[in-house]
Parts: sequence; structure tokens; C-alpha cells
Amino acid sequence: MIVLENVSKIYKNGTKALNDFSLEIEDGEFVYVIGETGSGKSTLIKLLNGEEIPTKGRVLVNGINVGRLRFGKVPLYRRKIGVVFQDYQLLKKKTTFDNIAFALEVINKPKNEVRARVKEVLEIIGMSNEFNSYPTQLSGGQQQRVVIGRAIANKPAILICDEPTGNLDPRHSKEIIELLEKINKSGTTIIVVTHDDVLVDTYRKRTILLDNGSIISDNPEGGYSHV
Amino acid sequence: MFRRIGRAFKEAWWGIRHHFAMVSSTAITITITLVILSVLILLIANVNQITHDVEEEIQIFVKIDKDVEEKDIEALKSRVSKIAGVADVVYSDADSELSYFIEHYGEAGEIFEIYRKDNPLSRAFIISVSTGYSISEVSKQIEIIEGIAEVNFGGATIEGFVNLLNGIREVGSIFILFLATLAIVLIHNTIKITIDSRKEEIGIMRLVGATNSYIRVPLVLEGIFIGIMGSIIPCLLTIFGYRFLYEKMNGQLVSGILKLIDVFPFTLYVSGIVLAVGVLVGWIGSWLSASYSLRWKR
Repeated sequence: MIVLENVSKIYKNGTKALNDFSLEIEDGEFVYVIGETGSGKSTLIKLLNGEEIPTKGRVLVNGINVGRLRFGKVPLYRRKIGVVFQDYQLLKKKTTFDNIAFALEVINKPKNEVRARVKEVLEIIGMSNEFNSYPTQLSGGQQQRVVIGRAIANKPAILICDEPTGNLDPRHSKEIIELLEKINKSGTTIIVVTHDDVLVDTYRKRTILLDNGSIISDNPEGGYSHV
Repeated sequence: MFRRIGRAFKEAWWGIRHHFAMVSSTAITITITLVILSVLILLIANVNQITHDVEEEIQIFVKIDKDVEEKDIEALKSRVSKIAGVADVVYSDADSELSYFIEHYGEAGEIFEIYRKDNPLSRAFIISVSTGYSISEVSKQIEIIEGIAEVNFGGATIEGFVNLLNGIREVGSIFILFLATLAIVLIHNTIKITIDSRKEEIGIMRLVGATNSYIRVPLVLEGIFIGIMGSIIPCLLTIFGYRFLYEKMNGQLVSGILKLIDVFPFTLYVSGIVLAVGVLVGWIGSWLSASYSLRWKR
């Protein structure tokens, strides 16, 4: 469960990103976070990812107070959170298989465990046939699938996606959301930060609208047009 | 564990191969630094040896006043012994002094045997000074003791020589520190380039929860490798270069009194120091660079 209690975030340059922000997301939920540029969406991701510390309030993820995590504990925490960004961030010199395996290798998982899990992930993301392809040989949608595969490789409880369809055409965007729904059905909490109104309207989920660092609306029915 | 070490070595080697030009120029600079360091160590060690030899040779010759009675000699010796810096006091009576005088002049000195009955020489203390104490200072303190007629040592020339050697040692040490700092800065910059070129990979590592030590170890290893690469030529030069000079100079400087330190095991120790400094400089430079780059955010 994710709980943000009266969180405020003011950056060193004085920018107020979040303003007395409170939010609860249950385990296994699928949530869209929408809002204009500068509304606080990226800061929310950074707070959940442990990259930033709240100026005020608490960020609790599965009982862990993220803001109070010691520097050395942050990497261990991140292993429980999957993050996907708009720009695919794949290693160009690694194959699909190696890109996904990388996430497990750097946390010292045994080789046989890595191999078995990567095969499972390739099945989930529907990329088993492209296991030996390099990123440049894949379409944008396929690359984003690999990024999602890498993010879920360590079976995180929460998957945070920052504009996962931002660079994709509608057909590939649909594929990505369907993949996220599939992952969500296995029990993973999904948070999708997006500008894509068509997507939000088509695949209706709880939708949170941010503006100026505050929640303007939190609609369990979802849909861009409703908020 | 072994897999992790293997990975660290592999990645460090990757860094060296991919930035070979930068690595080479850094290694060459470290080589130059370490050659100078080696020369200074060889010089300073020999200066130390010579200083020590010279100090060992220097003794203060103290003439005892003729008025001092024989029974008071022991008390006088005790007073001299108590002065800070006095390591040893040997009493030499007038007869012994004459014998030494005669001996010193060899066959020609036998002529002085006639003075055996009416010896004009004074009784004396021959004093050794502990290392680190100024001979002239000790002499001054002895001079003011009642019963001492005259104090004599090699004079200002010897002390000036010792001071010169100490000066070389001190200036050399400062120069070494300066060069080591320069080498650290160079390694720091080289590793920074590796980090910049792997920024994306490091970013992903952080994103998926790799620990800082996991990211840092290959970078530090790369720095250490560069340090070792830069140490090879200085180590060889230390051994073979010093051996060449030692043989050319017949193991001595100017005269037989100023002996150079033997080639072995001395050059092996110096090579060990040079290699250790290379490794240390590589380690510190890369550690600072990696720590700085990994500190920019949580």
C-alpha cells in the first residue's frame, strides 16, 4: 500500500512541487496520474522511487518510510519498485535477453535464476522470439515492452510508469496498456503518469488529476473527460 | 563472490580498452610522476644514509682544564653526560691523548715520545651526539661548564653539510606530495570520463537497485590498474637505473666516506614503494571520482 501523508516538496531553488499532498493507493490498484507539465507528477514519482525526500510529511510504501531511508538502504528499496520511463533507456549493446537480465545481474541474482526469470518475463511481455535482438532492431513499442520486462524482472510490488506511451503510436500504446493490465492482474500495483487522454478514456481506471502540486480530483471511475 | 569479482575486473578492463587514449596519457603522466618520485626516494634515502654516516663520524672533542683535579673528573663527566643530546662520553687522559697523537702520525710520530714524561696535552672527553641534536648547540652547552677548557668539533662546515642534506630531504618530500596530488587529479579526471560514457548504464543500475559499491568497485579497479600501468616503467628504472649508476660510481659519492646504499634489496624496497604509491594514487583518484559522481542524488 502506498500512503502519502500531507507531503510537501520544495526544491532548493524554491520551486514548490507538491503542496500538502495526501494520497492512498491500495495494493493491486491500477492508477493514472494526469496533469499539466509542472503539476507535480514527476516529483511524485521521484518521492515514490526514493530519489527525492519530502520537505514535509511522510511517504510510506508498504510500511517503509521512504523519506527516512538511509542512503545505503535506497538501492535495496528500489528492488521492490519497478520504474519505466518514456525514453526507453535500453543498453544498445545488449540484446533483449541481456537487457532484462541486467536488472537481475546487478543485484547479484544467481545465473540460473536469472536465466529462468528472464525466460518467464519474455513470455509475459510477448518478446520470446526477439530475445536475441538488439534495441535498434526493435520497434518503439517493442523497446518499451523490454523496458517493462526489465522493470518487472525482480517481481516488484509496485510498477511506476512515467509516460510509457509518450513516444508511441496508438496501436503500440494500446499494446503497452494491455501489457500493464496483464501485469496488474498478477497483483502488481500500477501507477501510470500520462498525458494520453485517449488512453485514459479508453482504459478506464482510477484517475488522479494534479495541478500546482495538489490533487484536483481523484476519480475512481476514471476517464480524462470526467476530471 | 567470485562472479562479482570477475565482473568487476571485466568492467574495469572494458573501461581501459574503451578510453585507451585517455588511460594511456594518464598512465604516462603517472609514469613521469613516479620516475621523479623514485629518483627523489633514491636520493633522499642516500642523503639519509650519508647524513647518518656523517653524524656518526662527528664527535665533540672537549679539552679539560688543567686545574681540574683527577678526583673531580668523574663528577665533571657526569655533568657533561646529563646534557640533552649527549649520547656517549669517553674520558681520555693525557697519556692516552699522546699515544693517539703519536699513533696518528705513524712512524714520524715516534719523535713525540719524548713528551711522555712531561706531557703538554690536556685530558679530554670524546663525546658522541645523539641523532637529531644540533652539534653546535650541544657544544655551546658543554663549553659553559666549569672545568672545560675548550670544545671542538668539525665546525660549521660539517654542520652546514648536514643542514644542506636535510634541506634536500625536506624540499624533496614537499615536491613528492605535490606530484602525488597531481597524479590523483589526473586519475580523477580519467575515471570521470569513464563514468560519463557509462552514465546511461549507471543510471539503469541505480534504477533497478544496484548498490553504490557494486557500481563503484569496477571504477576503482580501473583507477588502480592505471596506477599499476604507470608504475611499471618507474619500477624497472629504479632497479636497473640505480644499479647502472651504482656501478658507474663504484658505490660511492665523491669519496669513500660517502657510501651509496647497496643496490639490493634497497631498489626492491623502493620499487615496492613506487608500485604502492601508483596503486594508492589510482585508488584515491578513482574513489573520489566515483564517490563524487554517485553522490549527486539518492
